[in-house]
Amino acid sequence: MSDAFSQLSVLGSSLTLIFGLILLWRRGVPAYISAFAAQSAVLAGVAAVVAHFGREAELYWVAALLFLVKAVAIPKLLRDMERRFGTERELQPYVNTATSLVVAGLLVLFGYAIMRPLVAVSRLPTRAAMPLAMALVLVSLFVMISRKKALTQVVGFLMLENGIALLAILGTYGIPLIIELGVFLDALLGFIVMQIFVYQIHDTFETIDVEQLNRLRH
Amino acid sequence: MTIASWLLYIIVGAHALGALAALGLRGAAGRVLGATGAGAGSLATLGLGAWCLGTGTVLAITAPILPLTGLALRVDGVSAFFLIVAGVAGAAASVYGAAYSAHYEGRYSLRLLGAMWNVLLLSLPIQVLADNALTFLMTWEVMSLSAYFLVLTEHDRRETVRAANWYLVVTHAGFAALVAAFLLLAAGDPTASFAAMRSAVLAPGTRDAVFVLALIGFGAKAGIVPLHVWLPMAHPVAPSHVSALMSGVVIKMGVYGLLRVSLDLLGGGPAWWGGLALGVGAVSALLGVLYALMEHDLKRLLAYHSIENVGIIFMGLGAGLVFQSYGLPALATLGFVAGLYHTLNHACFKGLLFLGAGSVLHATHTRNMEELGGLIHRMPRTAVGFLIGAAAISALPPLNGFASEWLVFQALLGGSTIPRAEIAVVMPIAVAMLALTSGLAVACFVKAFGITFLALPRSAEAAQAQEAPLAMQIGMGALVLACVALGLAPFFVVPVLGSALGGVGGLPTASVEFSLGTSFRVAGAVGQMSPLLVALGLALLIGLTLGSLRAFADRRLRPGDTWGCGRIGHTARMEYTATAFAEPLRRIFAELYRPTQDLSIDFHPASRYFVESIEYRSAIHPWFEQALYTPVLRLLRGAAHRVRRLQAGSLHLYLTYMTIVLVVLLIVARWPR
Repeated sequence: MSDAFSQLSVLGSSLTLIFGLILLWRRGVPAYISAFAAQSAVLAGVAAVVAHFGREAELYWVAALLFLVKAVAIPKLLRDMERRFGTERELQPYVNTATSLVVAGLLVLFGYAIMRPLVAVSRLPTRAAMPLAMALVLVSLFVMISRKKALTQVVGFLMLENGIALLAILGTYGIPLIIELGVFLDALLGFIVMQIFVYQIHDTFETIDVEQLNRLRH
Repeated sequence: MTIASWLLYIIVGAHALGALAALGLRGAAGRVLGATGAGAGSLATLGLGAWCLGTGTVLAITAPILPLTGLALRVDGVSAFFLIVAGVAGAAASVYGAAYSAHYEGRYSLRLLGAMWNVLLLSLPIQVLADNALTFLMTWEVMSLSAYFLVLTEHDRRETVRAANWYLVVTHAGFAALVAAFLLLAAGDPTASFAAMRSAVLAPGTRDAVFVLALIGFGAKAGIVPLHVWLPMAHPVAPSHVSALMSGVVIKMGVYGLLRVSLDLLGGGPAWWGGLALGVGAVSALLGVLYALMEHDLKRLLAYHSIENVGIIFMGLGAGLVFQSYGLPALATLGFVAGLYHTLNHACFKGLLFLGAGSVLHATHTRNMEELGGLIHRMPRTAVGFLIGAAAISALPPLNGFASEWLVFQALLGGSTIPRAEIAVVMPIAVAMLALTSGLAVACFVKAFGITFLALPRSAEAAQAQEAPLAMQIGMGALVLACVALGLAPFFVVPVLGSALGGVGGLPTASVEFSLGTSFRVAGAVGQMSPLLVALGLALLIGLTLGSLRAFADRRLRPGDTWGCGRIGHTARMEYTATAFAEPLRRIFAELYRPTQDLSIDFHPASRYFVESIEYRSAIHPWFEQALYTPVLRLLRGAAHRVRRLQAGSLHLYLTYMTIVLVVLLIVARWPR
């Protein structure tokens, strides 16, 4: 039983990481949004798996909330934003696709290296999946650094959130519900603030290229 | 389940349902149902306060809703009293608001207004029931923010946004002081219960720091000079029922907080605490009324009067703290009772006045008194309501303002029993300042009522004004009744207040004797009064006057021209104005106002003896506000300028910095040397 648990958590975490890598590989924003929605659904699934095997009833709530907020509501809002701006493509990232993928690979290795002592002492069935969650956090950060369009960055931020949530679920079987709710609220509010900023950027510069923000300084 | 806990659930449920209805339903249904929830919740708040005060119930509830420590609520006498204050003003303002907000339909967000109104009304009872630091501070923040959103209702006006920003900054500066005060009180543990704070033994220096921080934090909310700047900006631009609640109840949370911390949690302190509260109270009272006199914006004038009245309340509390430090429990109770009584009275009459001003604004679309006039003929009920509120705030017997200001005077005069030089100097000065304040307040409301409601209309809008809708009249009528009842019954109210304070911060539980009956006398006080006899006398006098008029005088109305010194063709614009009324005082206090005048006359091109138009502009410059705030603002702006140099303006650079820091930290943590 514990074996299936371990397998399922590693499978789920790998899927979330792969959906994260889509941001580095594809160019179109709609693909990013679909990747994020799918990643959030998988995350909700992982939460449900942990709830089932770890006998944490509270985590079912977390899973349901994760699904509703991150896999349904936020992707819908993102698509609304995308429709409003027309198709803006990530044409000229700071780092090109091939290099990005190599860097992402290095980051995954770095994630494993960082988590080694923890995995070595941990007795949790989910321990094998934890480095993958760490890697997702690092990859999402890299997305935010290397891509220029505001929408890409918003998706990157949301994936970073997912990575942190995944790590929390795997590492502790879910933090208390109240903190989980607080994090949700935080993510949602952060998203709304970003949405407002993106609209403002768009209205001011008629593009959502974040590079243009340099002009605000003067 | 006791009655008290049922009432508490009704409060929460009614406001939650009201907020949901306001959010979910469109148009009149959402507006009315939202207001119904708010009104029902407020009535339940009033009921809970009255029940707990009447039966002496102590209700303590802890619920694990908040993290770490849970939500802790407890009712004692003081909080029950403030529940009554919030319930009375909240219920009246909700009924009024149901009709008043109708004219926002289609222009501003009624859904947000209705929801935030319910959130604010819910936060008020929770605020006074809070029994640990975390509950208190979180509710404080909810209250401040919901009030902020309510102020922002007419968000497309520049002055509204500016006022809301000032409010937000001042209230958060105050909040920072409060957090510091509570952390000191609880020795760094934000989850400590109030019971633990009461029994904590603190060093005298820490206690002093807590008191000063609390005075700053609660003073910012209450609108004490010099932290009052947000008040005359925010109250005029908010919807009128919001102004009524903010002025009547929200700023009183500052009074509640100060009382809770200084008297209950700290258990009183050295005499200079009370002296400080008394001093800022006296200064606020006098400056508030002086600035109110110069205002021609009806709602802004009322906002300055809120500063004045909060000052009077602080004088009562300050006197109480002074007496307590000298071991005079009877006089101390008198001071606190006077402050609390004035708190309730001010909630009633200032709520009434703001609602009246709202009706005027609703009918004429202007707050400028110079464009009003003659409204008593067109809005007779509003006029009577406003007149009663004006008489009450001017402390005319037999209304409630008189009863509580009389008590404040008694408390201050009671200071003559303390044989100390500094008291002998301070108390008479405070009495004199309060007397001057009361006198100026009468002058100010003669102006406010006379210019707004009497004479002929000065503008087309005033000439076409319509009486307010029924719901707005009901809201005002309820507060009129409260003003009269509270004025006639101090012999009932004062003992109740005395028993509410019993046991708090070492005040005697067996309340000080207040002689009951028609004549009203307080132990320790030098005077006595009988509001009922005064009312009887007044009623007799008015009855006699009316009767003799009816019997002997010719009562037909005879409209006639005013004698215009031989000049023909005078208009309503030539009536006595608010500016003219205030001119003598502007001259006397010129040093304070620093008025500037600007007169430009256009002559007829043919002859200098014929004037085409005259333009007169006059402004006052509150120099001490500028002297106080300009350096602070300059400092902030300078700091912001310096920080700007650090900014490269590139989002990616910032993100890269963060990522590098994260990676380096991870590496250091993983492979420590």
